[in-house]
Amino acid sequence: MKEDRRADLFESLRSLLPVLVILALIALVPLFSPSNRFLSLAISAGINVIALYGLSVLFGQTGILSMGHAALVGVGAYAAAILARDFGIGFWLALPAAALASAVFAMIVGIPSLRVGGHHFVIMTFAFGQLLAIVLTNGGDYTGAATGLDIAGPVTLFGADMTDLTRYYLMVVAFVTVAAVASWAIIHSSYGRTLRAIRENEKLAASLGINVGRHKIGAFVVSGIFAGISGVLLAYFLGHISPSQFSSFPSIYLALMVMIGGARLIEGPLAGGILVAFLPEVLNLDPVQSRIVYGVCLIAVIMLLPDGLIGGIVRALRAAFSGKPKQETEDCDAAEVRQ
Amino acid sequence: MSPILAISGLSKQFGGVTALAGVDLAIEEGEILGVVGPNGSGKTTLFNVVTGVHKPSGGTVLFRGQDITGLKPHAISRAGIGYTFQQAMAFAGLGVLENVQIAGEHARAGGTANPWPTPQALLDFVGLSALGGEKAGVLPFGSLRLLGLALALATRPSLLLLDEPAAGLNDRETAALVGLVRQLPGHGITVCVIDHDMKLMQMLCRRLAVLDFGSKIADGPTEAVLADPKVLEVYLGGDL
Ligand SMILES: Nc1ncnc2c1ncn2[C@@H]1O[C@H](COP(=O)(O)OP(=O)(O)OP(=O)(O)O)[C@@H](O)[C@H]1O
Ligand SMILES: [Mg+2]
Repeated sequence: MKEDRRADLFESLRSLLPVLVILALIALVPLFSPSNRFLSLAISAGINVIALYGLSVLFGQTGILSMGHAALVGVGAYAAAILARDFGIGFWLALPAAALASAVFAMIVGIPSLRVGGHHFVIMTFAFGQLLAIVLTNGGDYTGAATGLDIAGPVTLFGADMTDLTRYYLMVVAFVTVAAVASWAIIHSSYGRTLRAIRENEKLAASLGINVGRHKIGAFVVSGIFAGISGVLLAYFLGHISPSQFSSFPSIYLALMVMIGGARLIEGPLAGGILVAFLPEVLNLDPVQSRIVYGVCLIAVIMLLPDGLIGGIVRALRAAFSGKPKQETEDCDAAEVRQ
Repeated sequence: MSPILAISGLSKQFGGVTALAGVDLAIEEGEILGVVGPNGSGKTTLFNVVTGVHKPSGGTVLFRGQDITGLKPHAISRAGIGYTFQQAMAFAGLGVLENVQIAGEHARAGGTANPWPTPQALLDFVGLSALGGEKAGVLPFGSLRLLGLALALATRPSLLLLDEPAAGLNDRETAALVGLVRQLPGHGITVCVIDHDMKLMQMLCRRLAVLDFGSKIADGPTEAVLADPKVLEVYLGGDL
């Protein structure tokens, strides 16, 4: 039994390894003296990836799609800005505080929405995203109305000023690593199994003693924690936040990124976040063109690669190396889009 | 001895349809009780109301003397009542072993010695140990039924409700199922089983209860019930 468990642990650690290697390589990028524009894009991508890891727990494991996820990022960002302005609370304390704020908001939205079932939840999260943008826009001086809020305040780590672009980049890579490991730990825990059971069959899950409603709300709250942290990093990176950054379009983008990358694979959020950030740059597209390209990508991914891009690549590699399509293991099975 | 499950005056209306019309039924500890009745007579509804899938319109359910009427399904499962569905089901996208693992992780703590301490032991018991690595979704129907049984057993129930566990099984699979179910009382599991197959019911159950239009019309030793004129009338031209 004990050896079994050790073998299991080894097996699941092995699934984490590729992400860690990729992230280590990504951390080496500053050695090649990239342009500031590249670093900025990469930082934005990394900040999204953190939220995407939360979304992968929610969508990939539990099978619930949130179409208002940017709002949870926004709660974190505004929490950070308001805490700094009104209480002089800095970056490091803002992280847990904003994570808590986003988690509480997720719970407030989740309790009524998740009780009514799948499709309603998608609509409720979307409506919540819109509502938050309206509230922020009409919040007067407190939220800075449509102009938003500035967030000054340095970010220091062991006395070093992290607002330098390269340092901030490295810090975001570290946060992405933590997010990836956290999401991996959830997937490989009994909690992750419980969430997958709910994704697969709620009725059966309930008959086996799983409190489906509570765990769905829990998964949304967990995804809120990731979103809140992502929001703090965003606010301190941009130095200015406004309501439109957290409305429906950014939410749809987040959902799109996680689907393109593959929600059930540990590499998926990373791939989706990077791809969507850099694709318009690589293809030299204007914003309207890039929206069209994303739309086409999403349709293509849903139709051709149900496990997302990475799932498709993994499947192709396996087929190439073993000569036959192998039975997929759990965390890379078809990410059917059922919502 | 008081019954493990005491159902009294249980009723259920779906809009204008009366699926259960005040049913009294006691399940005794250690027995294998059969519930039969024509299609639509309320058998599945009886299970659904006991297990919390549906809220009853009236009546009470006592499990080991405790009122469990109207509790949520997960709470009833944790109280010690296991349940398999008339439509065989498992977590199709997950591995067979992982299915059983999940099912065992939410059981109530402690109690009696577990006859199947590991998911693997449970798969051995139902004869699926060779298929542990497969996805549940690719199992043939007969194996899916057995997996459903394993999932319910993994919750360590003291009462197990089986809704047509042999439906869709061939003769060999049915015989295997009978062999398994018969062992359950020896492991401290009381069984209540619904089925249309009277031969199967005669093999499994010493006692039968008969439902018709949501009411219990007979309850007693299997042979006596099957000879009851009221029961014969219900099944006239049927499969008796
Ligand atoms: N969820 C529901 N909504 C509305 N009516 C229902 C529902 N479930 C059952 N019924 C009705 O209740 C009655 C009893 O159905 P039930 O499924 O309990 O019968 P059964 O004895 O299990 O039949 P079978 O042998 O065909 O499985 C039927 O008239 C059925 O149409
Ligand atoms: Mg039925």
